[in-house]
Order: sequence, then structure tokens, then C-alpha cells
Amino acid sequence: MSGIEAFSPKGMLHEGWSAQVDDYAIVCGWALQGKTFLVGDVAGGLYAFEGKSGKLIWQSKDIHKGGLLAMSIHPDGNTFATAGQDGHVCIWESKEGKSTKKLELGKGWVEHIKWSPDGKFLAVVFTKYVYVFDENGQEHWRSEEHPSTVSAISWSNSNELATACYGQVTFYDVVGDKINQKLEWRGSLVSMVLSPDGDIVACGSQDNSVHFWRRSTDQDSEMTGYPGKPSHLAFDQTGTVLATGGSDRVTVWSFQGDGPEGTVPGELMLHTEPISCLSFSHSGMLLASGARDGSVFSWFLQKDGQGDPVGGAFAGDLVSQIAWHPDDNALAAINANGGITVWEFKVRTKTAAQGFG
Amino acid sequence: MSNTQKVPVTILTGFLGSGKTTLLNRILSEEHGKKIAVIENEYGEVGIDQGLVINADEEVFEMSNGCICCTVRGDLIRVLGNLMKRRDKFDYVLVETTGLADPGPVAQTFFMDDEIREEFALDGIVTLVDAAHIEQQLGRSDESSEQVAFADVLILNKTDLVSDESLDNLESRLRDMNRMARVIRSKQADVSIDTVLNLSAFDLDQVLQRRPTFLEPEYPFEWTGVFSLEKGRYELTLEEGPDPTMSLVQLLDQGNDETALNTGAESCVRLYAEQEQLMNPGDLVPVGKHVSLQLQSEGTKSFFIDVNKARDIGLFTQHTAEEFNMKLKKVNTPSKDEINNDQSISTISPIAERVWVAEHEHDDEVGSFAIEREGDVDPEKLNRWLSRLLSEKGVDIFRTKGFISYAGESKRIVFQGVHMLFTAQPDKEWGNEPRRNQLVFIGRNLDEAEMSREFDKCLV
Repeated sequence: MSGIEAFSPKGMLHEGWSAQVDDYAIVCGWALQGKTFLVGDVAGGLYAFEGKSGKLIWQSKDIHKGGLLAMSIHPDGNTFATAGQDGHVCIWESKEGKSTKKLELGKGWVEHIKWSPDGKFLAVVFTKYVYVFDENGQEHWRSEEHPSTVSAISWSNSNELATACYGQVTFYDVVGDKINQKLEWRGSLVSMVLSPDGDIVACGSQDNSVHFWRRSTDQDSEMTGYPGKPSHLAFDQTGTVLATGGSDRVTVWSFQGDGPEGTVPGELMLHTEPISCLSFSHSGMLLASGARDGSVFSWFLQKDGQGDPVGGAFAGDLVSQIAWHPDDNALAAINANGGITVWEFKVRTKTAAQGFG
Repeated sequence: MSNTQKVPVTILTGFLGSGKTTLLNRILSEEHGKKIAVIENEYGEVGIDQGLVINADEEVFEMSNGCICCTVRGDLIRVLGNLMKRRDKFDYVLVETTGLADPGPVAQTFFMDDEIREEFALDGIVTLVDAAHIEQQLGRSDESSEQVAFADVLILNKTDLVSDESLDNLESRLRDMNRMARVIRSKQADVSIDTVLNLSAFDLDQVLQRRPTFLEPEYPFEWTGVFSLEKGRYELTLEEGPDPTMSLVQLLDQGNDETALNTGAESCVRLYAEQEQLMNPGDLVPVGKHVSLQLQSEGTKSFFIDVNKARDIGLFTQHTAEEFNMKLKKVNTPSKDEINNDQSISTISPIAERVWVAEHEHDDEVGSFAIEREGDVDPEKLNRWLSRLLSEKGVDIFRTKGFISYAGESKRIVFQGVHMLFTAQPDKEWGNEPRRNQLVFIGRNLDEAEMSREFDKCLV
């Protein structure tokens, strides 16, 4: 049972709108410059809501037989891709929800898809292989066979893709078709994020640790002591701090100076159950965190990893994903019960001025 | 979060060709109203239209700390993690492993990963054994003996290809390796579904309820022979054997089918509990009495059996007939004066024979034993011992099950372990029940005497 009771939005989070989808909401994101909020549920339902009002614009059911597993919104916001247990990747246009393309990978799950930053490529994980498709849906590149199923992917720039699997992270030049770098470590890497400049690779590991490498110096470190599996990781836009889950507190490592090795991380404690999602705002050091207890908090972080809560709200059930509006003026959360909540996020400059005045 | 029940998971192991796919297909095609998800290994051949079948590569992930109990199946965490999200959840999950798989990491996945543990409960491990080939496999690979050792249910399959006698021998060998498991015989994996699903094998109470005798001591006799005899006098001869004496019970009208043999065995347990009557060579063996044959003298020793009409008699002996080269012959002239004369007599073969405990010459490295003691234990001492034992021997200890009586604790403490992973949880109240402890260990090269001694030191 949840360790907390429902509470109304506090601090900078204000009532916005809410909606309900049919099953466990698993993926979400803002499209069309924040005019539309897209949600996918595990049963393969796809929904587009008007960003401001929450009005349902269009929906589509059973888009992937067996279930939906992943979604990636194109950087221009006009199209997006979904993938599922049927081994298919579908490309959609955001306005009316029309399917424009279908890629069939084979018998197996497609769990990860990601558009490159310039939007020219779509990377698709299929079992031990990673495929890169171009804008026309043509296969542009295919990785070698990885030693195990690929567990995470991330673009370090528009031509370089990082893949994580058991025991290694590999950087591929998908245009030059070569391996740029291979980082090895005996452990089951369950998640991966890159710092915005692409230099730091951080991976959550099954053995309750976070492992990271600095590509430029070849230095690597392991942060241990997590009570659980740190599946959720997020870098801020400047690459100064790394927020990690793995317990009911957010652990924040700062890469300032010689850190984070040998430093004490910041710890953000308000959730009563393990962290289930983390997301940094598009600008500034604002972090949003969601937990299994249904609570959502936003935090203002210092460069040393310490931070204070600036807003809190209750999403009703395990928060499966949170997404900041492109303008950072709203925060959306989807939950395991199909609930969708969007809060306005207001910077109360006036209040602050009065408060300090 | 909701308080929904955990989804039970059965692990199906067994060597290639033991009948796993046949069994899976049977389960899926039967009308049981359950929504079952099957996670099959990459070589699986289950028909996809029969339910949700997910093919997963067996990805066994070791951790950087090298700890064997942290080794898990990464593919299961990924796949199950996704399956449990849907609102129309599965009622049941079956995980099939390849023949070469070590069952440890699969079982550990359900203890080690927090998110999996929250949603799923390991219900049982079912191992299929190809009765015709297991003997070779047991000799050749560690995996097959580990699969036997881990099992909650052993399905002795393809029994039509093997004689009853070798099946009995095989079964007793398997029981020696794993005395916790329930053994079921089948021809083409045609076992009923409830022998495989919803076992609650990891729920100790149910195990005890289902098989209240699973911790009973072995029979005090190793061998039974049923002889079909005419009226007359018979001579039982024994040569040099492992012991200077041997206990024996003679039963009249002993049947020779499985049920009759078991019934006979049970009545003999009671007779064996009585004070034995000493018999010297030349004596007449009484019916339905516990006798101790005195075999100290050199050479062949003879005892006599009188049969008043044609009937089947059962001999239940402390050791096997083979060990003393024991033979039964008809005495042609039933006269007591002529017993020392050399008679022309022929050996009578039993119409049925049964070895009750395993043939020790196999000397399997994998075995199991139970520690049973009355009284209370000191929780701190026990903890210290078990922590040390499991850190030193955890690799070789596959499964541990049992309950303990802690001094000063009103509830039974239930123990459950896979390799080094151990849970101890308070269970039901003792009430008026006498305080006692039962711990079953299954593993490789376990030192029963040493472990029992160490356990005794923990008693209050």
C-alpha cells in the first residue's frame, strides 16, 4: 500500500488537467511544440491530448499486438515512432494520428527506439542488434551482434550512437560504420544516460550500483551503496549533476571539480517509495521526480548536488513517466493506473520578491 | 498501490528430450481457464497460437562482485517487468529452461530483483527426467544433478521405455539426491496439470500438508522379496556379509504390486520397532516376528521356513539379499533329521523384489538430508552458524527449507533458501504444539554429521 495519502498540489505545481486512458500508461511526451501531449498505454492504446486543456484530440487502439513498449517523438515534434511486442516500429504524424510507415523487424520485442538529435535517423533495438533507419524508413545501418540483449541506447551526437548491454557500452559511428569506443565492465547494465556533451556515460546496474566512464580521460568509477536497482538516471542540461534513483530518495552526484568520486551526494528525501522516474527541465537546474507511491516533486538543485523542494503533487499511482513542457511551464505525469495529470508550473517571482522584501 | 496477489511462476527444467515441450503443449491446450504466459528458451517449439509464448535468450548475468547468489536471468527481469504492467494480467507464468541450464539463477531472480519479487512468487520447480537416459546424464553433467536437486516435483518421464525394476532403482536414487521432491511417473509427460501448477512448493506449510511423511526416517529394512511357494520346508542360506547380524521379518500372503508392497512395508516398520528375537543357524523363522539372524559363524548359514499351504510370502530384510548372497531353496525331504545332508535343491527366485533405499554404490555427490530436533534454538547462535555455513558452502547448498523454534518466540520461524539467499519469517503460532525444528538441506558434498553437530550447538 502507498505510504502517503493523496494531497493537493503544493508550491510551484498548480492544478492543471487530468485524464484517463485504458491501461497502464507507459510512455508520454510533448509534440507539436507543446500543443499536444501524447500518451501510450501497455495494451497498445495511443492518445493525443490538447496540451492546455486536456481535451482528447485523437486516439488509436491496439497499435501493437501484444503491447506497446516504447515511443520516441521526433525532434521537430511533427512525427513520432512507437514500438512493441509484435516486433514492429510504426511512424505516426502527430496532428491526426495517422500511421505513415511500418517497419517490421521480426519475431521479438522492440523495447527501445530513439530519434537522433537532428532527426535524420531512428535507432531501433531488436534483441542483440541495433538498427538505424533513415527518414524514409530505409535501413541505413545495422550493428554487429551484441553479446546479450541491448538494454539501452543513447545518441551522443547525430552520427554517434551508444549502446549498453550486459558487460559493455559501445559507441558506434553509424555513418562511418565503425566502433569508436568500447567500455567494458562485468555487470548487467540496465539503464544509460550520457551527459549533454557526450563525455560522461552513466549506467545503472542490476547489482545496485551506478557505473560511469569519462570518455575523454578513460577514467571510470562505480558508485555503490544503493538499496535498490538505480534504473532511473538523469543529467541536467549543463552536465553538472547526475540525479539517480535506486531507493525512495533521489541521489544527486555532482561532477564539479574532481567529483563525484570521493564526494558526498545530495539526497532529496520526500518520496516514501522507490523513485520510478526522473526528468530535468529544459533549462535551469529544476528536477522532477516521481515515485512508486504516486508522489511527484520538483526540486531546485545546487551545483553541488544539494537541493530543495519547490513543488509537490500526488499522481494517484506509480508514476511511470514525467515530462516537462518544452517551455518548462507545465509538468505532466502518467501512472500505472492509466491516470494522466498535467500541472502548471509557475515561477512566482512576485511572491519571492515579497518574501525576501 | 494495489494489494493484488502475486502471480505464481513455475520453472520447468530438464534435459533436452526429456519431454518439456510435450508437457508445455499439454498444459496450454488443456481447458483450465487460466491465462498463462510461457517464457520459452530460444530453442523452444511451443505452438504460438496456444497462448502467449515469449521466446527469450537465457541471459545469465553475473555481477561484478562475483557473488553466485547475485547471478540472475536478465531476460526474465526484462520480460516479466513488462508483462506485469498490463491490466489483464496473467494468472500464471511458466519459465522453460534449456537442458543445460543451472536452475539457480532462474530461482534467484525471484528473490533478488525487488521489482520482480513484488509482483511474482516462485511457485515451484518442476524437473522432467528422461527415465531412459538420466543415468548417463547424471554421470556426465553437473547440470542434470542440479536440476534434480532443485526440483519440487520430479517427473519421471518415458517410463514405458524402462523396466519397472530400473525405474524403482532410479526413483530411489533420485530420492536420495532430493528427498524434498514429489516423484511422479509418466509415459509421455501425461501428468495432470495440478501436479505442475499451483504447487505452492515455496510455501512450506503446504509442502508439509501435502506430504506429511516427507521427513520421515527411512525404512529400517533395505530389501523385500516376495516368493511364491508351495507347501513344504524351505532353506534360507546366507554367506559372509557386511554385518554379523541381520534383522528379518517374514509376512504371509504378501502381494507383489506397488500398493501391497507399501502396505507390507508399513506393517513391517511396526514389527521392526519391536524387540528382536535372536535366531541361530538351523532355527525355524517365525511368521510376523522381528528376528535377528545371528551370522557370526563362518561359512554358509542356513535358516528354515515352513509353509503349510501354497502361498506367497514376503521377506523384509535389513540389508539387500545381494549383500549376503541370500538364497531360498526348497528342502526336498522335509525332515528335521536330514538337514545336514547334501540335498539336490534349486534356488527359488522372488516373483517381486524391492529395494527400499538407494543403492549406495552410485555415491552421487548431490544429496539431501534433514535435521530434526525437538526443543528451541538460540536465534543468535543459529544466525551465526547459518551465515558462516552459507558464506562458506553456499555454492554447494542448492536449496534449504524448514522451520525453527526460536526460544522466546511464540511463532514458528520458516526458513527458505536458494544458495546463499535466505529468508527467515515468522509463521503461525506454536500454540500447544510441541516445539521442534526441521531443516532440509539439498546440495553437493554436504557433511551431514558436521552440519547436524553444528545445529545441535545452537539448541538451547
